[in-house]
Amino acid sequence: MDILLNSLASVFAPATAAFALAAIGLNFHFGLTGLLNMGHAGFMLLGMYGYAISTQNGAPIYVAVLVAIAAAAAFGLLLGWPTLKLRGDYLAIATISAAELIRYLGRSNSLQALTGGSTGIRGNDFKFTFEELSPLPSENITILFWTNHGSLSSSWWLHIVAWVTVGLFALLFWLLARSPWGRVLKGIREDEDAVRSLGKNVYSYKMQALVLGGVIGALGGVLWALGNSVQPDSMGRPTTFWLWTLLLLGGAATVFGPILGSMVFWASLVAIKGLASAFIPTSVLSPVELEPFSLVLVGITLMCLVVFRPQGILGNKRELAFND
Amino acid sequence: MTNRIDRRVLLRALIVLVVAAAAVTLLGALGSPAAASSTDAVAHATVAAGDATAGIAQADTAVHADAVTTEGDSGTNRYVQQLVNGIVFGLLLALASVGLSLIYGTTGLSNFAHGEQVSLGALLTFFFTTQQPVSVPFIPVEFTIGWPLIPSALAAIALAAGSGWLQDRFLWSPLRRRRVSIVQQMIVSIGLSLALLNFIQWWFGAERQRLTTSIDTRIDFGLFQVGQTTLWSVLISLLCLGGVAFFLLKTRTGRATRAVSDNPSLASASGIRVEKVVRLVWIMATGLAAVGGILLALYDNAAAFDVGARLLLLMFAAVTLGGLGQAFGALVGSLVIGIAVEMSTLWLGTDLKYAVALGILILVLLVRPQGILGRAERVG
Repeated sequence: MDILLNSLASVFAPATAAFALAAIGLNFHFGLTGLLNMGHAGFMLLGMYGYAISTQNGAPIYVAVLVAIAAAAAFGLLLGWPTLKLRGDYLAIATISAAELIRYLGRSNSLQALTGGSTGIRGNDFKFTFEELSPLPSENITILFWTNHGSLSSSWWLHIVAWVTVGLFALLFWLLARSPWGRVLKGIREDEDAVRSLGKNVYSYKMQALVLGGVIGALGGVLWALGNSVQPDSMGRPTTFWLWTLLLLGGAATVFGPILGSMVFWASLVAIKGLASAFIPTSVLSPVELEPFSLVLVGITLMCLVVFRPQGILGNKRELAFND
Repeated sequence: MTNRIDRRVLLRALIVLVVAAAAVTLLGALGSPAAASSTDAVAHATVAAGDATAGIAQADTAVHADAVTTEGDSGTNRYVQQLVNGIVFGLLLALASVGLSLIYGTTGLSNFAHGEQVSLGALLTFFFTTQQPVSVPFIPVEFTIGWPLIPSALAAIALAAGSGWLQDRFLWSPLRRRRVSIVQQMIVSIGLSLALLNFIQWWFGAERQRLTTSIDTRIDFGLFQVGQTTLWSVLISLLCLGGVAFFLLKTRTGRATRAVSDNPSLASASGIRVEKVVRLVWIMATGLAAVGGILLALYDNAAAFDVGARLLLLMFAAVTLGGLGQAFGALVGSLVIGIAVEMSTLWLGTDLKYAVALGILILVLLVRPQGILGRAERVG
């Protein structure tokens, strides 16, 4: 029963929403435009740093969010400018390196005064502006089976804000994907040369998609940071790979794919850990080994998804971004 | 793209670099006055202690501390010492990247799981050689093997090469037969790397494991010092690389391999069994990666489950720098990357040395995506 309740709680947890939002950003890159961005965690990390550092320096919340957006947009421009003309796998290598570069810089000692080095920035140092806005009472509130604080850390307030944001950006995706702009992006995904021959500036469209998706990724990072803390090593390569897994799980190029994917991904991760710790004796699988064990399953899921059902749960087999 | 470097591209690369450098300097300047003296002291202490403070599993190798701390007491020259360290590191890195390059050349796959093959080699050796009780996942029995180092290393290399055969037989070959696109295969390799990385952590634990307890005696060459084990490692590495070169240039199968790299369909049409060549390349690549992993673990004194994952991007940097798919390019690229990484520690913190390699990688992609030795072809 506990396992079920915990899994259900992780379906609507703020972390799930943060990953759903970041995956919506990745959906602009991969689902719509076919860009192989393997450094999405870098955008998230930049968003987290932008928000946390500007809040630490006394910026009000809307300025902090704007700084996060600006940081991600600048990174997208800087990254996309030289790389968007490269072939798919070069772009993947360039983005993954750029994201790692950001993580190395963030955790380096030379920037410790700013980014906190490898320990990162504590939640209490930057969450207060967001928590002060909470209209909910500052006490534990129980809804059905779940108890959370009203406004602190992983609060009901954060739950509400996170999912409203996800909803808004899903709506944005839906509107943009069916707009003329979105149709051009889909055209680029299907056949770049055909779109170019129609007189569209492919490079500029790719750049717009990269920046927009990156900014959404950064907002996802901010949501994640509001529920946890800013920790550079939590935004390494595995995070990007999880995002890919959950996007492909839900279905790339669909509106609800990233959201459903994120919910299923986190719920099954919690359920697997719960079931494994309940039913497999600790002599066979000790508690320390649970985390790697479940992540091995994530990796295998990603492999099987790509090979056997690349369109995911909701996707349309004809709408695939894999033709490179 | 023509052979001549496009001037616009060069300009673009320069601007990106300048902007990035300015941003980093600005951030550093913003950060330092806030806690000037204390951070400086911390940074200094950390460099001296070889980054011991960042002691989590993901921390950077705490190893080259000896190189940093020993300079000064004898007649060694810092620059020469770091250059030698760089060449050693580059040669060891080359073992791993040659395999990556061969796989790319023959199949077109950027194999993201290659780093895990490096860790696998190192940790399997630990598994066979350690005196501590070890166990296998899912089997709740602990036992001690405790072989000497060299048989363990040979067993580990054999097992790793076997894993390459298994992978190609049951994963990559069926995928190629199903005509799964190369991008899909790349994402499959990413999934495989995630699975293998965590499997290795689950099997061998998250701690840094030492392959040998003996302390390396350092030999003084006047301007620089090198450990005895390191010299042996360099020798082994040179032998392996020479063997690969001989194989590629002088043997029939080697020529067939190069033909497949050049043009698989043409090679197949002229009677070369492409699948067989690819199978052999997988076995060689994983075996070489294991050798590289073992030697790097000896050079670094220890190996953790994520050592290969951290080296993967360095390997990509080396392979791209030399020209994707060019086996000898990988050697040149690895040497350049190795030297750049080790020399950079003279000016930057040790925790930024891998960042330097990634910076080089991005720069190369901007200026000359086909690499130093690569053929000029359209890559965009």
